[in-house]
Amino acid sequence: MRIRKGLTGLIVGALMLGLLAGCVGKNETNGGDNGGGAAAGKVKLTMWGAVPPENGPQEVVDTWNADHPDIQVEYVRFVNDDDGNLKLDTALSTGQNVDLYVNYTLTNLDKRIKGGTALDLGEFTDYNIDEKMGEDAASWKVDGKYYGMPTKKNAAFFALNMKALDQAGLSVPTAWTWDEAREYALKLKNTGFKYGLVQHTASYVDPLDSVLVKNGYVKADGTSNLDDPLVTKWLETLNGMMKEDATTPPLGEQLTSKMPVENMFLGGESAMINIGEWLIRTSNNMTEFPRDWKIAFAPVPRLVAQEADMVKSGGLGDFIAINSKSKNKEAAWEFLKWYADGGMMPMAAGGRLPSSNAVDQQTAIDHLLGDHADSYDKESLEFVLYGDKTPTFVRSIAQEVVDLRAQEYEKFFLGNQTAEVTVQNMVKRHNDWLKQNQ
Amino acid sequence: MHKSWMKRQSRLGYLFIGPNMIGVLLFFIIPAVYSFYLMFTDYKFMSPETHFVGLDNIRRMMNDDLFGVALRNTFVFLLAVPISMGLAFIVAVALNKSVYWQKTLRALYFMPYITSGVAIAFVWMLLFQPTSGPINGFLRGLGITNPPGWLSTTEWSMYAIDIIWIWFMLGYNMIIYLAALQEIPEELVEAAKIDGARPWQTIRQVIWPLVSPTTFLLLITGLIMTIKNFGIIQAITQGGPGNSTTVLSLFIYQNAFRYYEMGYAAAISWALFAIIMVFTVLQWIGQKRWVHY
Repeated sequence: MRIRKGLTGLIVGALMLGLLAGCVGKNETNGGDNGGGAAAGKVKLTMWGAVPPENGPQEVVDTWNADHPDIQVEYVRFVNDDDGNLKLDTALSTGQNVDLYVNYTLTNLDKRIKGGTALDLGEFTDYNIDEKMGEDAASWKVDGKYYGMPTKKNAAFFALNMKALDQAGLSVPTAWTWDEAREYALKLKNTGFKYGLVQHTASYVDPLDSVLVKNGYVKADGTSNLDDPLVTKWLETLNGMMKEDATTPPLGEQLTSKMPVENMFLGGESAMINIGEWLIRTSNNMTEFPRDWKIAFAPVPRLVAQEADMVKSGGLGDFIAINSKSKNKEAAWEFLKWYADGGMMPMAAGGRLPSSNAVDQQTAIDHLLGDHADSYDKESLEFVLYGDKTPTFVRSIAQEVVDLRAQEYEKFFLGNQTAEVTVQNMVKRHNDWLKQNQ
Repeated sequence: MHKSWMKRQSRLGYLFIGPNMIGVLLFFIIPAVYSFYLMFTDYKFMSPETHFVGLDNIRRMMNDDLFGVALRNTFVFLLAVPISMGLAFIVAVALNKSVYWQKTLRALYFMPYITSGVAIAFVWMLLFQPTSGPINGFLRGLGITNPPGWLSTTEWSMYAIDIIWIWFMLGYNMIIYLAALQEIPEELVEAAKIDGARPWQTIRQVIWPLVSPTTFLLLITGLIMTIKNFGIIQAITQGGPGNSTTVLSLFIYQNAFRYYEMGYAAAISWALFAIIMVFTVLQWIGQKRWVHY
């Protein structure tokens, strides 16, 4: 009997070991692959990004792989939402195969730096990010260091229906306030549109961040600055556009129908749209969205009175970091430099303009507009992309703060609370959060 | 000899449930114990340091207005359970007798239950569209000039979710009730009829008590399932507008997987566990009054 008892224990033990080994084994082989490959002079890199492979990334890595038989890159897609980022973070913190990964927000990057999974690129001296990418790159610095490289030029702008502008006798603005934009929306609506202006919910708060980046999210005494008078100004301007002028869709309706704002602009339901360079991906698709008018571009309007005080949303994006646990940092670095200096060009057609000055502006714009260059007002496009020298920011506040603001201003736009109460609630919740996260 | 045979048998039994037990241990018991520990720490996913903070998370929960809002929303959400069961019972009684299209109707009622949550979310968002949606179109047709804004207002959004959830659970509840109804001996119903009971009296005083064990089962499982559910709300409103549809389970999800506040999320999870526990115990005690086996 004693022997049998031992046997049972052994079998159970073996089963358990097998199970555990099953979990661990996969990593082991992955790591082995990398190590073994490097020894044989062949390196395999894995890059995680959120752009679907067919929209450029596959072509990018195929081009690289064809030229570099010794360093092969594989592209893995994660969806840039809560679930997708969680997947990437889990992969990073459990040491799965991630050599390079793209960060889309500073908030996410910050977590990854704290988690020790982003390599300080200061150890490479053969590429000057500040020089290559310009002043805007600095907003991605954390504690004065680059834990990755921004590769794409963000552009926030208003796209306008040129035909409607001509009809209303309006010119393409090169700098304007929200009051002026509101007047534009009203005049343009009267030329026969359902709405004067539509916006993505993501762009909604850009004006707030413009103000708060300039004036500080937090006052000198450490309390919330969300009661800046311009916050109220923003709330009331948009609310007036929704309710008095009916020039922009009521927020409740937009949220619940997940309003396809790009389609509304291109389909002629709205004369203006607050958007960014990714509009071009849709507006170039003439089969689905045919139009007989040109698109003109204007910088985003400002809440501040003085043009000189404006800081606009934008900066650089697609911040690619090297995993500090990667076994092939050198190879990853080689690939990253190549990618930033033009390797990423196949992605320009999807609106991802390279930010490196090693890339010719004209080539980038040609890629961006493709066969439909004559359906855009090129002069105003070049101005919003390269001519406008307004300083830019990249939103860097925590997700909690983004959410708490949204919850409060949603209640305001839905008519549940006054602007005054909204600001009070925002400030109170922001202060609570600040206390919690000292 | 007999005793050792028994021993061997039970050892063999353990061997068979072994693999399953390992699963339960690895994926249920260890995580549960671990989350209990996390409740007392400030663990943030991806963050290098974790400190023991005692009851801070629980204190924070008590002072968190959002927790109160989520709790209230959860109770409104739970209203859907008895309503859905009541409707399911009526439908089941109707479909238990021979009616036209009986099988087709049963299948139709069950359809929502096997449909993907995301598809449901999109269809209902279209239906609830405040200005151009068919539901408000219908209500306007009835002469209601100011139909509710449903998902686009904070006052109505939770009830709109309730309606979707009632519709979703109806088919499942109905199938279970149908099975229970099939078990009722025909004689009892006939006897009632002979005694002169009207159909409504038969249903109320004969059929309803006879299916009470099923009602009890559906109530407990329904409440637990509803209290835990967040997928459908995540797909439709993400807890908005404002925070009018943030229920506790969604609140946990947001804290854990959006803000990576694992310690705080663990505390809320255990609060939710306590609530489910209290509910279930109360029902077990209360069942003696109305469940007839």
